[in-house]
Amino acid sequence: MLKELDPLLHSQLRLGIMSLLMSVDSAEFTFLKEKTNSTAGNLSVQLDKLSEAGYITVEKSFKGKKPLTTCMITKQGLKAFEDYVNALKGYIGT
Amino acid sequence: MENKNQPLDPRQSLDLIASMISQAQGNMSSSSFYFLLWGWVIAFCNFGMYYFHKFTNYAAYAHYVWLLGIPASIITVIYSMRQEKSKGAITHLDKIMMWLWIGMMISIFPTWMFGDKINWMVNAIVLMPIGTATFVSGIVLRFKPLLVGGIIFWISGVLCYIVSPLDQFIVGGVAMILGYLVPGYMLRNKKQ
Repeated sequence: MLKELDPLLHSQLRLGIMSLLMSVDSAEFTFLKEKTNSTAGNLSVQLDKLSEAGYITVEKSFKGKKPLTTCMITKQGLKAFEDYVNALKGYIGT
Repeated sequence: MENKNQPLDPRQSLDLIASMISQAQGNMSSSSFYFLLWGWVIAFCNFGMYYFHKFTNYAAYAHYVWLLGIPASIITVIYSMRQEKSKGAITHLDKIMMWLWIGMMISIFPTWMFGDKINWMVNAIVLMPIGTATFVSGIVLRFKPLLVGGIIFWISGVLCYIVSPLDQFIVGGVAMILGYLVPGYMLRNKKQ
């Protein structure tokens, strides 16, 4: 039987964010916004959802006088991402 | 991509993951700056040592040319901090590269610091770790000229034990041109 895909990851923007964070140690909000080609508002909402689920950590600080938001994937997020990719493999049959 | 919040089919999901991961790889050819800066600095120091020993009466002061490494180090730190800020993300490979070169600097720093104790025959010792760092950078950046550069440093390091103490500065200078500057310019051109 096919595993159910994690609904939290099975959306374009949230999966994009998680894929980017998988590949880096940490990423700034502006980096994620540019790479996912999303609006600041939408990105912010999706980051909150991922953060509430414990998949990522969102750290707010300052770079000079400008606010700086830095995101990192958590161990729980890594596990969820791996499970998601494994479930996908089941659907595609690889 | 009108609605970024809608669910995907499995194939789209995999495509998206692959595309995001490749986006995060970034452009590593900005590393050419370090190879060019240090290539010029160390080549200049080597040829300077040779010149002062061979053609002037100031051989006793020749080792002061190595002080050029201080401003070069400061420039390196400032440049790398600016690069980090402008990139917006730090990849695992960035970290590997950073610690590889910091480790290399730590390994060779005492050789310059106490160069007088070994009569400034530093090249035989420093070229080997420089070769390793250059070779590994070639693997990380998937850039063959740096692999060749690393091998040239290793060969030059061995050669320094064979040639006369004075000629090892020529070997060191030429190694810098072939091992840092040539791959450095090729890397920069690749970027443009």
